[in-house]
Amino acid sequence: MRSPFNLLKMIYSSELIKGTLKTIILKLLADNKRMYGYEITQKVKELTSEKIQITEGALYPTLHALEDSGLVTTETEYIGKRVRKYYSLSQTGKTQAQEKVSELADFMETMKFLLDLKPQQI
Amino acid sequence: MYQLSEEQIDFISRDIQSRGLEMESLQQDLLDHVCCIIEQNLEATGNFEGFYLATIRTFYKTELKEIEEETLFLLTHKNYYAMKKIMLASGAFSAIVLSIGIVFKFMHWPGAGVLIVIGIALFSLLFLPLLFTLKIKEKEQAQSPFILAAGTLSAILFSLSTLFKLMHWPLANVLGLTAIGIMLLLFLPVYFFTGIRNAETKVNSIVTSILIVAGSGLLMSLVRSPGGSTRLNELNTSYFLRNEQILHQEQKQVADFLKTNPGKQDAFAQSQKINALCEELKAYILERETGRKILPSELEKENTLLTDGWVRDYFKDDLPAAQKLKTLSSLVETYNQINAKTGNPNFVPIPVKETVLDKSEERTLAALNGFTQIQIMVLQNEQNLLAQK
Repeated sequence: MRSPFNLLKMIYSSELIKGTLKTIILKLLADNKRMYGYEITQKVKELTSEKIQITEGALYPTLHALEDSGLVTTETEYIGKRVRKYYSLSQTGKTQAQEKVSELADFMETMKFLLDLKPQQI
Repeated sequence: MYQLSEEQIDFISRDIQSRGLEMESLQQDLLDHVCCIIEQNLEATGNFEGFYLATIRTFYKTELKEIEEETLFLLTHKNYYAMKKIMLASGAFSAIVLSIGIVFKFMHWPGAGVLIVIGIALFSLLFLPLLFTLKIKEKEQAQSPFILAAGTLSAILFSLSTLFKLMHWPLANVLGLTAIGIMLLLFLPVYFFTGIRNAETKVNSIVTSILIVAGSGLLMSLVRSPGGSTRLNELNTSYFLRNEQILHQEQKQVADFLKTNPGKQDAFAQSQKINALCEELKAYILERETGRKILPSELEKENTLLTDGWVRDYFKDDLPAAQKLKTLSSLVETYNQINAKTGNPNFVPIPVKETVLDKSEERTLAALNGFTQIQIMVLQNEQNLLAQK
């Protein structure tokens, strides 16, 4: 079932991924300098063996919101008749990316503990 | 690998636009995205149009426009949480400041006015508009925007009218009546009739409507009726006119006495000046009150009523009248000093503190009567002096 926000179509339930899309995008941009939209979706597909597929309806609103809040900047390049927009992290975006990733990592550790998947001290 | 021609790119571009997307940068994103997918996945000899339509169909649930709607939603809601915080903070702050202000007011401590003004101003101009904006933005609204707007407007007007009333600023009553009017004639009917149609909200709507009607009723019962105001103004006006009459009667007696006994002409120092200034200031108040030059005797003839307004504005510091009032006040003080020194046991000094002279008497009629009383007291001292001779 797709979420009411039409966020992600994937093997994992969209509820699970909904809160992590920003982090995924920020981390990818941190590792790849600059990327365009299609590239991002392909990269996620490839890295997750198609288990996570980001929909266009989720990707672009999030990219625009990230740009609007100053975490991401864009450069445009003409590919023949069409414009390609490359997204890259701004200085604040870089710090945010690190923070978001460690927050999510911490969250996953806590979930492991909470759900008793791999008992350990936290 | 499929090679897209320029015409095909134009076709896609036009198609995206015709599906209702208006943001140019989003159009560019989607155009490039679709082109990438087609180039990557369509065979060189494949059917362009069919493949394009199938691809674009996977972008949305019901229509392509929802991507733009989602984008706009995210863009407008990035301040949502900040606004929510400010709303809660300003609401709590204004409620606390207002409560402290009211305690100060009851205790007659300084600063009450500032606290109350800040409290009500924050409540009506920051908290209520923010509350409205946030409610309007909620995805699933319980009420229609019209009801919310009418309710908020009426609440803002009502709290501003209370503020204006407290501060004796003009238009307080107009604001209050507009607020109650919007509440009872606009908000209530729409709220009630939309509410009772829905079984879930039926009871709630009825109860809230009853509360609103009862609340407005309680409030209105505290307000003086127009007839009551007229009656009060009549009583006050004739009270002033009676004082005037007493003054004139006394003045006439003294004048008559002096006519028959011209040799006894005598007066306390400053008497005439005080009397003249009092007359002048009374005429000034009457002029400001009625909007034209009018004598007290004409008030009765023309049935013009004085209101229970305030003279504070008539004696603002930068007006010539304020200067005259100061002159009169210092005249009275010198009058008291000089004449007390003469040691005349029958001399009665004229009070300055807590009278119109130090602006304590702020109501129109209190001020007018205050001046008349000063004149009468001056006259009584005169009569005492004459009686001694």
